[in-house]
Amino acid sequence: MNRIVKTQILEVNRPFLMESGDRLEHLDIAYETYGNLNAAKDNAILIEHALSGDAHAAFFHEGDKKPGWWDAMIGPGKGFDTERYFIICSNVLAGCSGTTGPASINPATGKPYALLFPPITMRDMVETQRVLLSHLGIERLKCIAGGSMGGMQAMQFFCDYPSQVQSFISIASSMKHSAQQIAFNEVGRRAVMADPRWNGGNYYELVPPEGGLSVARMIGHITYLSEKMMQEKFGRIKKDKDAKAIFRPSFEVEHYLDYQGISFVKRFDANSYLYITNAIDNFDLMASISSKERLRGEGRERGRHYDRMKTKRGLVISFSSDWLYPPSQAKEIVQLFTGLNVRVSYAQIATEHGHDAFLTDYVKESDIIRSFLSSLS
Amino acid sequence: MSYGSISMNTTTMYKIPAQNYPIIQQWISPGSRVLDLGCGDGTLLNALAEEKQVEGIGVEISQDMIVQCIQKGICVYQADIDKDLSEWKDGSFDYVILNATLQAISKPYRVIEEMLRVGRYAIISVSNFGYLRNRVRILAQGRVCSHTRMSSSWYDSPVIRFVSLKEFETSLAQMKIDVMDARFFLPLDKVMHRKWPLYNLLAREGIFKLRKDDQQ
Repeated sequence: MNRIVKTQILEVNRPFLMESGDRLEHLDIAYETYGNLNAAKDNAILIEHALSGDAHAAFFHEGDKKPGWWDAMIGPGKGFDTERYFIICSNVLAGCSGTTGPASINPATGKPYALLFPPITMRDMVETQRVLLSHLGIERLKCIAGGSMGGMQAMQFFCDYPSQVQSFISIASSMKHSAQQIAFNEVGRRAVMADPRWNGGNYYELVPPEGGLSVARMIGHITYLSEKMMQEKFGRIKKDKDAKAIFRPSFEVEHYLDYQGISFVKRFDANSYLYITNAIDNFDLMASISSKERLRGEGRERGRHYDRMKTKRGLVISFSSDWLYPPSQAKEIVQLFTGLNVRVSYAQIATEHGHDAFLTDYVKESDIIRSFLSSLS
Repeated sequence: MSYGSISMNTTTMYKIPAQNYPIIQQWISPGSRVLDLGCGDGTLLNALAEEKQVEGIGVEISQDMIVQCIQKGICVYQADIDKDLSEWKDGSFDYVILNATLQAISKPYRVIEEMLRVGRYAIISVSNFGYLRNRVRILAQGRVCSHTRMSSSWYDSPVIRFVSLKEFETSLAQMKIDVMDARFFLPLDKVMHRKWPLYNLLAREGIFKLRKDDQQ
């Protein structure tokens, strides 16, 4: 199988209504697909990416040595088997890897939106994906799956359009953020906004707030690893033993965080970071699906979406050492869906790799996902 | 001993757990909601779904077993029976089954109480430590382990609770739990419906259908 892929852009030239009531006059959606859609069009799986992900989930871009962010899970014979399924992944709304976001040109001003970009929600992300699916001619998904924020989108999509989705997989995710999770995100946002270069979001023609954004990413990376793993990986090892300059990174762990911060600012927009983390913090699945005022989703008038969820299938996976999205939150998801009569299973993978395990512990993860997908009729 | 090894062994721990399946099937009404604690590879739940159209959920601690259950399309939760039953609401199930698992639990009293909180009925199978062969082995060899269905050494055996049928029934009475029905397995695959004077000596296993005393 040819494992070279290119990110496609779908240009949508009709207004896109957002949950806030705002409209985007023009919308670009960046996406990639892997494998082939079958004649019955019933083998499509939508993969949802996490906070810092993009549409490049698997395979290689021409000339690249590094594959997409979930290549270990998506491919021939892998957990999401591209010989059986047609896999789609798109960059989220307000992202900065091809889909319209705060760095895109605002048609009203001819300049980047910056903070004029409307606030977004998990549901807005899902609605853009439905625009893409309709463009691809896909009416029903076999499964919708994602880790971390990707799990939130998967659950939101499943609950809003249960008759279009056969099953969902939520990995290392939560149905709503706890105070601690909001707090970590807020510190990240404050780091960005405290950088004078952020300039109220207007930095696109100047130097971006790289200092602030890299600190936000460093905080993120602390929460992605378990304490034990960090200790084993770095301990108290010093890289520059005879460095004379005070307060330069000397410990291995400092270099690691520094590297993570620097490589992140090269590829990520600071305003996107603010918009997306804000959407994550405001995500509350139960409140969102039970709200009487919701504008989107099927069967919303009479709560018929609940009926349509019944007997659908779900899979929830957590990782034992993930303290950012702990197993207790996964169990809350399980209880919620069991209460809604969704046939949901739960697996907790034993690992020391913390939240990052959803990207790294792919062997066990693949086993579980492969059996789940094969059990779907 | 880690609990992790226990449920992994539940399906192999007992040589013929399948003997209980027809009895359990007979006790369960069609279309009911069933929770199977220590469900192993999901064979029982699968049979109950096919024969009795139950809505079943399994609880298992072993990852390998979880994968096998998921492959069968069974709803399964990876959890520790000793800790995680409190997450279920009262009366979530019609039946809660503990088949070939009681001996591997560290807090059986608490688990049985929880079973009758989250379910209307409990079905529990008990391997009888008072069974003749066990008594003879202790007397003759002075050995506790390597009894009918317990082949490991004492330190790594999944079996950590040794109970006779009589003791189990005494505990049920103390817990104000009603025995609605029971079956006792004798050698040569004979099944007794009634309690017989020597059942605590001659039955190697019993299976009980239970409910709280105050229920109608």
